[in-house]
Amino acid sequence: MIFDPTPLSPAEEELRAEVRAWLADVLPADFRPGLGLGGRHDPEFTRALARRGWIGMSIPTGYGGAGASTVRRFVVVEELLAAGAPIAAHWIAERQTAPALLRFGTEEQRRWFLPRIAAGECWFSLGMSEPDAGSDLASVRTAASRVEGGWRVTGTKVWTTNAHLNHFAVVLCRTSPQGDGDRHAGLSQLIVDLGADGVQVSPIPLIDGEEHVNEVVLDGVFVPDERVLGEVGQGWRQVTAELAHERSGPDRYLSVLGLYRAFLAVHGREPDDVRAAAIGRIGAQLWAIRQLSLAVARSLEQGEAPAVEASLVKDVGTTFEQQVVETLRDVAGGEIDPGGPTMFDRLLAECVLNAPTWTLRGGTTEVLRGIAAKALTRSAR
Amino acid sequence: MTAILDVTEVRDAVADLLADRVDPAVLEAAERDGWAAGVWEPLHAGGFTTVGVPESAGGAGGSVAEACAVLEAAGAASAPVPVAETGLLAGRLLASAGLALPDGPLTTGTGEVSLRDGTLAGRLARVAWARQAARIVLVADDADGAPVVAVVDPASARIAPGRNLAGEPRDAVDLDGVVPETTAPAPADARDALARRGALARAAMIAGAARRVGELTVAYTGERVQFGRPVSRFPAVADHLVRIAEQAEMAAIAARSAAASAGDGEPAALEVAAAAAVASEAAGLVAAAAHQATGAMGVTREFALGVLTRRLWSWRDEWGGERAWATRLGHTLAAGGPEALWPTLSRGLRHAAERS
Repeated sequence: MIFDPTPLSPAEEELRAEVRAWLADVLPADFRPGLGLGGRHDPEFTRALARRGWIGMSIPTGYGGAGASTVRRFVVVEELLAAGAPIAAHWIAERQTAPALLRFGTEEQRRWFLPRIAAGECWFSLGMSEPDAGSDLASVRTAASRVEGGWRVTGTKVWTTNAHLNHFAVVLCRTSPQGDGDRHAGLSQLIVDLGADGVQVSPIPLIDGEEHVNEVVLDGVFVPDERVLGEVGQGWRQVTAELAHERSGPDRYLSVLGLYRAFLAVHGREPDDVRAAAIGRIGAQLWAIRQLSLAVARSLEQGEAPAVEASLVKDVGTTFEQQVVETLRDVAGGEIDPGGPTMFDRLLAECVLNAPTWTLRGGTTEVLRGIAAKALTRSAR
Repeated sequence: MTAILDVTEVRDAVADLLADRVDPAVLEAAERDGWAAGVWEPLHAGGFTTVGVPESAGGAGGSVAEACAVLEAAGAASAPVPVAETGLLAGRLLASAGLALPDGPLTTGTGEVSLRDGTLAGRLARVAWARQAARIVLVADDADGAPVVAVVDPASARIAPGRNLAGEPRDAVDLDGVVPETTAPAPADARDALARRGALARAAMIAGAARRVGELTVAYTGERVQFGRPVSRFPAVADHLVRIAEQAEMAAIAARSAAASAGDGEPAALEVAAAAAVASEAAGLVAAAAHQATGAMGVTREFALGVLTRRLWSWRDEWGGERAWATRLGHTLAAGGPEALWPTLSRGLRHAAERS
């Protein structure tokens, strides 16, 4: 295990202070924080953040980024999530697509997409899950057939966050039929323009009443060859690499920070011992999980690939987030009132309805633990 | 820093030293006799029992982080001797009052003790290895209510033997009428500082033991075959292995971060409270998951797991359990107000080192 405490350098701490001060300045005093990566989709905020150079920081300077280290990006992302900032417009493009393009994209793709992502002008969704392919991603049925100059894609993607607002989706699909052998073979990633002919986006209303996730029906959508991401047939390898690297970030433990802060605002500076114990336990766990996450970021920065550690952090972080909601509800007492007078009331209602998704998105707890356990038992042999 | 070695090297050195010196027979004997000379002597001779105590006070030198590295390894090995008590606890307490270390195993404890006209009154509860220690070091209040460090020969006190779940001596010490060998004025916060180091010491030992529990459980469930395959392949069992790894790593990074917060001085209050809350909670979760995964074999005296889980169940409450430390931390965080919450929790180790 690579977990060791990671001190931040003076330059990293300065960056943190700078981001924190900027956020205090641009977010209104009565700002209602988003739940971590569930922050709102706000193009104006995204562009303002990009002007400060804080989107796509780890993109090399030649492609419009800052060429910054993993940990510098970690510090910025942590501050954004801690504030509950409206990061949804650039979140996927910044966190997932840009690194994938850097790793697997063509020079032409990098030159076209990366500067736009870093400018906060080009937003992505993920096109992985399907009605019959959730945890078992290899069973995707969306298929692309070869046509002159590219591919025609047909199929249905679900849970596609903000597809109605974003410009592109990276779609995992079959480019050759599933044979008897390796079921992970024959998958590819295509960059689909969500405004193209044959793309139909319709909302899937969730239990919280929000309509930010979608069903995306692709009906013979043309994707030119130059929009194939990476190698045809290597989609599975690319997707698993993407997931492993993005598992353990601050979005796995900061979804509840706004709720936690609001609880303190309601229950004052002299809580009783029961509430103090709850505040303290949450603080202690958050402090420790954060050190684990930071250790993974530092390890990635040094060129290592701590895949098991990243899985453990994601599991422990998302489980913690759900416990926080239940703990604070319990010690606050009373009924949950979505229209209640305090920020805590409103955020608690939102958290209770959203919390189930925290241990699902990016890989369910069960699948994640299966992967981690295999690695633990393998390394013991 | 007065670093003697990198912390990883310290941890590995102690692990190597203990590897063939602590075995089931040694542990059984230690539970019966309350002492394990074959474990104590090489540790003491190697200077590992006084890491974290300045050389000027007769210690081996080194930081609190290095002392905790020793304790992590000692915890993993279930070393049945007062390593934490001698150096990080009693040793640093003596040094903080300008006193030199007596030779041999030392111990300390908490309780209301007063010093009047050169004579002590009061009791210490649950003192580790009080019977076997060369000296007991404690904090007493003088007539003005100021803290004083007192060094006591155990032979001069009335000691009622006790033990923890792991069979480690935890004795009651009655000090009424005892004349200490030496006394010296202590720093104003000597009691709190001692309690913090006590909690940090147990967190480090828990971290070591919890990791070792993880290794044992992975190995056992990989060998134990039921329904034609190793039980670790069953998702419900695999789940236990993952949660043990998570909680062991939580305890380890918490203990190491709190230890690192000391820099060249004492560990920071906030970090110690957080580490103690995390490690004490982890101890119970790890023990429960490991026993569930190893089935009936795990609860036998024959299997190595029980030696570790009995320690986890004991150490988590010594110097305060998870609720005590979480409550303390919660009051501190609440007093800072909502706006200070995240800045406080996210402050880096660099800041902590600068504070001390």
